Amino acid sequence: MISGSAVGPGPEPALVVDRLCKHFGGVIAVDNCSFEAPKGKVTGLIGPNGAGKSTAIDLISGFKVADSGSVTFAGRPLVGLPPHRVARLGLLRTFQSPREWPSLTVMENMLMARWEPGRESIWRGIVGSGVAGTESELSQARELLNEFGLLHLRNDPAGSLSGGQKRLLEFARIRIAEPQMVILDEPMGGVNPVLGERMAKAIESFIDAGTTVIVVEHNLPFIERVTHHVVVMAQGTVVAAGTFESMRKDEAVIDAYLGVLPTHDD
Amino acid sequence: MSQYLTSVLTEGSIFAIMALGLNIIWGWSGDFDLAFYGYVALGAYMTLVLTIGRPIAPAEYILGLQLPYPIAVLAGVAASALMGLIVGLIALRHLRGIYFSIVTLGAVYVVYVMAGQYVPLFDGYNGLSGLFDPMASTFGINYNNYQYFLLGFCFAIFLIIFVLTERLSRSRFGLALRSLRDDERASAAFGRDIYRLKLRGYVLGAAIGGLGGGLFAAYLSAFNPSAWSPIETIVIYASILVGGKGNGKGVVLGVFLISVLLQESTRFLPQIPNQPELVLALREVIIGAVLVLFLRFRPQGILPERRRVDPDRGDDGGGRPGATNPRLVDDLASSGSEPIAG
Repeated sequence: MISGSAVGPGPEPALVVDRLCKHFGGVIAVDNCSFEAPKGKVTGLIGPNGAGKSTAIDLISGFKVADSGSVTFAGRPLVGLPPHRVARLGLLRTFQSPREWPSLTVMENMLMARWEPGRESIWRGIVGSGVAGTESELSQARELLNEFGLLHLRNDPAGSLSGGQKRLLEFARIRIAEPQMVILDEPMGGVNPVLGERMAKAIESFIDAGTTVIVVEHNLPFIERVTHHVVVMAQGTVVAAGTFESMRKDEAVIDAYLGVLPTHDD
Repeated sequence: MSQYLTSVLTEGSIFAIMALGLNIIWGWSGDFDLAFYGYVALGAYMTLVLTIGRPIAPAEYILGLQLPYPIAVLAGVAASALMGLIVGLIALRHLRGIYFSIVTLGAVYVVYVMAGQYVPLFDGYNGLSGLFDPMASTFGINYNNYQYFLLGFCFAIFLIIFVLTERLSRSRFGLALRSLRDDERASAAFGRDIYRLKLRGYVLGAAIGGLGGGLFAAYLSAFNPSAWSPIETIVIYASILVGGKGNGKGVVLGVFLISVLLQESTRFLPQIPNQPELVLALREVIIGAVLVLFLRFRPQGILPERRRVDPDRGDDGGGRPGATNPRLVDDLASSGSEPIAG
């Protein structure tokens, strides 16, 4: 049985979170949080509301600055880096609600998901090709949009998509950006459960593309379906880590969820 | 009449240059900048102090050089860009929406009061004058033809700025600024340095404002605080809003309709006896009313921001034309102007 602080499961970790702490005034949001995400796998980050999952993601991705502790991604320390620097190192994240650029078209959203140094300079804009993406980027974007069923919407403003389509666009943007790692914050939030299988397939496609995945999600059947490895947080810290199956019997996990972890019969 | 028309078109070209600069800041980047007048004014003042020579007492001002006009304008552009950099460094770091506007308004009033009250700078409220027919002798243009030359010159500069901003608008720089306007947290999550990007757009806009000011100085041959008060920025905003925020062609159309057609047409209204100010005031009332009507019924302007179309139409996707739903464009136009908290 694995519990308490993180135990690196299997292959080398892509991300190591070590004794991360963050408090807001008197409220301790993240307290000595430690875990690892194995490279090329899907790690589920679960826990009841207020467990500190979202704060932990903000600390890792640079949207909030940790009080203490360290985050190591691909051998580099992340704490103290602003969000764009974290992203440029190849660690992308999504948010609880989809954050497309609403007035940009679906295609433009795809093209702008990639960042390369110098490509957005004023000089390049004036003397450059005059288009936002190369022909190969456009065709790659079309291919991905087709895969996610959004190709016919590519010239529509992304703000006009439905909630589920926005999620799919977010996934397509991650795919075209080709990050080393992505943290998905509640990808099933507000999404018709019918799309669950499609989302699961998309997460598998991230792994196939060489992207390590962390999924924060309340939908436990979904977590069971897509993850290789689960980290359970409660009250700001990691209470257990291991396979989803082993979590069923873990006292700390059952305590944290008050025994609501689903069985196979659900 | 032809002299009048030439004058109006010259002024229109200059206003269009200013509006294209402000459109980068407001239309693309989404920041309601009230300091923009300051960049225009600084460009005009710098152009004047670098061309009109030593001050003759009791007039006082800095520099007092007699540089060639184009070099003076470039120096004015540099001064405006520098001021834009300073204001932007302070205002763009954390402030968005109305907070950004208030700080920029404060900044422009500091400049406005300085220019008006601190006499050794630009001769206070008297302002500067004496820039007569720049470049006329270089090109051997006589007095009668000069105004046509100035129109051609201003229109050529306008065309250059238009082509450059249209190219930038389609480029990744233009899209990146719009992504900040739409959702800057998402932009940061995809690797965009929000502060630096916004700053670059802001300084570029300020520099174009300074260029407009340099041309304006040649058009007016003088500049003083009463010639161009900060409130004039609102007229440029009205032009951008009516024409189509974010759309270069729309901005030019808006300048033609608001700053040229509407402004000038009120000149032809009959004077009301004993009330010489009334017709002038009426102009502002009309602009205000047009602004309110557009905000209510067509916030995206006459020519909405262009939806770039994926050029390949022959593939199996069979894309439908983008943004055909007017209600949708309405929603986007109104959401675009809302501040996004960093």
